[in-house]
Amino acid sequence: MSLRLALRWLIRETRGWGGRVVFFLACLAVGVAAVVAVAALSDGVREAVRAQGRQLLAADLVVGGRRPAPEPVRERLAREPGLSIAEVKEMASMAAAPVAPGERGPSTLVQLKAVGPGYPFHGGPRLDPDRPIAELLTPRTALAEPELLRRLGLEVGDELLLGGQRFEIVGRVLDEPDRAFSGFALGPRVFVSLEGLARTPLEGFGSRVTHRTLVRVPGGDEQLDRLASDLQALIADSPFHEVETWREGSPALQEGLRNAERFLGLVALLSLLVGGLGVARTVQAWLATRLREVAVLKCLGLRPREVVALHLAQVALLALAGSLVGAALGLALAAAAPAFLADLLPVTEIAIVQPAAVLQGLGLGLGVALLFAIAPLAEVRRLPPARVLRSDAEPPPPSLAARAASALVLVGGLAILASAQAGDWRLGLGFTGGVAVAALILAGAARLIVRGVGALPRSGLPFTLRHGLAALARPAAGTTAALVALGLGVLAVLGMAVVEDQLREQLASSLPVNAPSVFFVDVQPDQWPLLQEALADEGAREVDSVPMLMARLSAVDGRPVEELAAEVEGDEDRRWVFTREQRLTWADELPEANEIVAGAFQADPERPNEISVERDFAADLGAGLGSVLSVDVQGVPMDFVVTSLREVDWGSFRINFFFVVEPGLLEGAPHSRLAAARIEGEALQRVQDRLAVEAPNVTVVRIRDLLERVRGILGLIGLGVRVLGTFTVLAGLAILAGVVSAGAARRGREVALLKTLGATRAQVAAALVAEQALVGLVAGTIGAIAGAVLAGFVLTRGMELEFSPPVAAVLGGIALSVVLAATAGVLASLGALRRRPIEVLRRG
Amino acid sequence: MSPSPRDPETSTPRLELRGVSRRLPSGERELTILDAVDLRVEAGEFVAVLGPSGSGKSTLLGLLAGLDRPSEGEVLVDGRAIQALGEDALARLRRDKIGFVFQAYELLGNFTARENVMLPLELAGESEAGRRADELLEAVGLSERGHHYPAQLSGGEQQRVALARAFAHRPSILLADEPTGNLDGATGHRVLDLLVDLQRREGTTLVLVTHDPEVGELADRLVHLRDGRVQRIEAGGAAREQPA
Repeated sequence: MSLRLALRWLIRETRGWGGRVVFFLACLAVGVAAVVAVAALSDGVREAVRAQGRQLLAADLVVGGRRPAPEPVRERLAREPGLSIAEVKEMASMAAAPVAPGERGPSTLVQLKAVGPGYPFHGGPRLDPDRPIAELLTPRTALAEPELLRRLGLEVGDELLLGGQRFEIVGRVLDEPDRAFSGFALGPRVFVSLEGLARTPLEGFGSRVTHRTLVRVPGGDEQLDRLASDLQALIADSPFHEVETWREGSPALQEGLRNAERFLGLVALLSLLVGGLGVARTVQAWLATRLREVAVLKCLGLRPREVVALHLAQVALLALAGSLVGAALGLALAAAAPAFLADLLPVTEIAIVQPAAVLQGLGLGLGVALLFAIAPLAEVRRLPPARVLRSDAEPPPPSLAARAASALVLVGGLAILASAQAGDWRLGLGFTGGVAVAALILAGAARLIVRGVGALPRSGLPFTLRHGLAALARPAAGTTAALVALGLGVLAVLGMAVVEDQLREQLASSLPVNAPSVFFVDVQPDQWPLLQEALADEGAREVDSVPMLMARLSAVDGRPVEELAAEVEGDEDRRWVFTREQRLTWADELPEANEIVAGAFQADPERPNEISVERDFAADLGAGLGSVLSVDVQGVPMDFVVTSLREVDWGSFRINFFFVVEPGLLEGAPHSRLAAARIEGEALQRVQDRLAVEAPNVTVVRIRDLLERVRGILGLIGLGVRVLGTFTVLAGLAILAGVVSAGAARRGREVALLKTLGATRAQVAAALVAEQALVGLVAGTIGAIAGAVLAGFVLTRGMELEFSPPVAAVLGGIALSVVLAATAGVLASLGALRRRPIEVLRRG
Repeated sequence: MSPSPRDPETSTPRLELRGVSRRLPSGERELTILDAVDLRVEAGEFVAVLGPSGSGKSTLLGLLAGLDRPSEGEVLVDGRAIQALGEDALARLRRDKIGFVFQAYELLGNFTARENVMLPLELAGESEAGRRADELLEAVGLSERGHHYPAQLSGGEQQRVALARAFAHRPSILLADEPTGNLDGATGHRVLDLLVDLQRREGTTLVLVTHDPEVGELADRLVHLRDGRVQRIEAGGAAREQPA
């Protein structure tokens, strides 16, 4: 058959689609809509979260430190094509209002930020007037926080003295997203330009200037990671510098993001599978209505493979149409989501036209439709043409090899699609394997039921139940197919819902309400009583303080860190573990939010030099219980023996250390204290003012801003998960209803026959309910339990979270499955129940 | 017994069944539909197969067309055994040599009348499919209805379209399964007349299955089937009219 002829026939065949395949289209469209909406939304949410991550840094990458970026770093940045670079300097300074010539007005400590051209690359301060910062700042102008204006009694347009130079205040700083990471809030913020700073002698006073080189990296993550790791290597030996990228947030944020990404991939996988079930059942039902025509085509001399090709092409065309509709629907839904959720979404701009998401949806829609159409089409290939002479001529049962082959193609193809969708072949394979096992269990259960029901003595049962059970057990009732489809659907929907529910719960609880709001850094031991007193006076809660000491690791189990670092050359994260400045603390009790996972905490009276190490950090060091860590404590070499490993809940945002050593060893060394407390607003300001006078070296880090931002991002992830999860659950329910009704639609003749024999409509309906409810019960039970197991696997293994058995959800899932199956069974037979039996029977 | 158009002893028969049996599984037992049937059909001959319902008529037709395979025996078309051919070879055989007319017309619902007639021509790769289809539609008196879909035609009209489709690619063999079974008496007669007229004109070998004894009047030979066996073979009305 020529291609032209095939196309011409294809076009003729499309005339018969009509209402018959609306369900096919709808089914696929819902599945693809889910995939596209999920993909577009998750891409959008991911972008939004990323954009926020960038705002926290105002750049993609920052080289920061107490000194300007060293020459090798500058050279490396100059070599990389396409970068944009901006310099920022920060320091504490006094600011004053010039009252009259020769006099000085009130003064206060401010946090001065001098920014060069280009700042900010992402986000940046919100200003009044709302104009770009580069337009407002000249060498003679400054921007100030309202707090400063209030303190000094100034207004916009007045002048401000900084380092003896006059600056005109041209605007107010309302909000500064990148402050949380850079601002040691000693006082209100003042922005000037680098040229403005250069007019003052402030930099020359040996004050603590923080230099930050902001870099915009135009390429993707790959370029960013490469650049970051190159720069890390260049500053590895410098204690003054560090490299940050926007992708490294706090450990809690990182974990949240990773979980969300894994979860989003999984959501799309499940929605894809549910869509595939709908496709399989509709193709099967559609082909069942075409068997006579197929037989005629074969009589007229069409070869089996031509018949298959003709139908495959039709499925492909339909799948393309359904996928296109679905893609449009998915984009529309994704576009609508932020509008409905404007209050909840910190970011309102989610890019909605996502070509990648559309292509993904079309590809998956086509792929899934064709994969699931293979088995029904194989039936068409085997259909004997004699069917046209004897309508009871059935295709010969497929050989074991043919069945195995078509199952293999389905499973293999699904695994490939799943891997592509998850972006991880192991996840794809695991997912496919799990689903295949569940399908086998369901098919086995269906067999047992058919046999069990067939063997059951039915004489004592009421008519409806008897007939319902009989209908289940009768050969070729399609019980197995319906049970597998429904069971897998319940599995997908329930697994999805449970993961979503438990993930949301854990995300919400990952930011404890009693997290500290402020950190005090560099508190000298003799200043600690003063700070304690100030905090107590102002009613601070959750006051916590630990001693802290900077040291360097020199050897692990006698092997020098230089040697160990050389071994992990190329893996900058692991290198950094060895070369970073280590912060040590000592304690004789286990700090809160810590849990010993191996060994015992400083409990060995024989050992005077015990050290407790955070578990993951110990793993990176290659250290375990009994390892000896040699540390250079400000020039004094000391050895510690690892006697316990801890797991730290970083999400608590409390003061935590990788290393906690036994008390009594380091107290004599010069050290400072790190303090945290929960105290807000005016009270905090008063503590801060007092410190500015009595302990000016103490830096105050207002963690509240940072925490609020992190909370916002975690909330965003939770919301994304919730929206996507709900969407897939809804899509799954719609398709499930379709799957069940596709099976029930074939019952039309049976209903007519029963009515002919004198059954009332109520009796027929009751028999249908009994039959479908049993299918729903078994499918729901197996599917719900398997779904819970899958959810547990995903949560504990995939996301390293906790899992509690969702008893209520499983019971609810079973009940829903029963109700859904029974309702769909009756609804799908309503037409037949209404029609006069002769209309159905006459059609032959 | 009855004279055939050609000498049965010397020429190759168009169709031949040699000891053909067909058994089907029915529940746990096996049902014998055809039992050791022998039959020769010469080129250009019109053979009517008669018998009550369940006598194996349709099964016999299916075996002749290669739609079904015998449990035992041989089916020969133009002297070539077909029971061992693959599905593709059988499809090609039907495409080249065999036309069908069914009791329920079996037009493709998504194709117009004209497209239904063109279908076998297109399969055969004939370039003038449209023109030939128009000729045939005219021959069956439906030249005005070519653009209608089967659902828009009456039963008799549908069967006339089916006749046109069956003759479209000039098959040497035409197999008809109760072609008048779904039609009322008068319409049935008209369709039958048309069928025989086309068969004579095209010189087609026709095997027609029916339980209508009147059809026998138009056939060369009548084969009576009962319980899967050939009960008797007699000369039909057409043969009796011819001079011996």
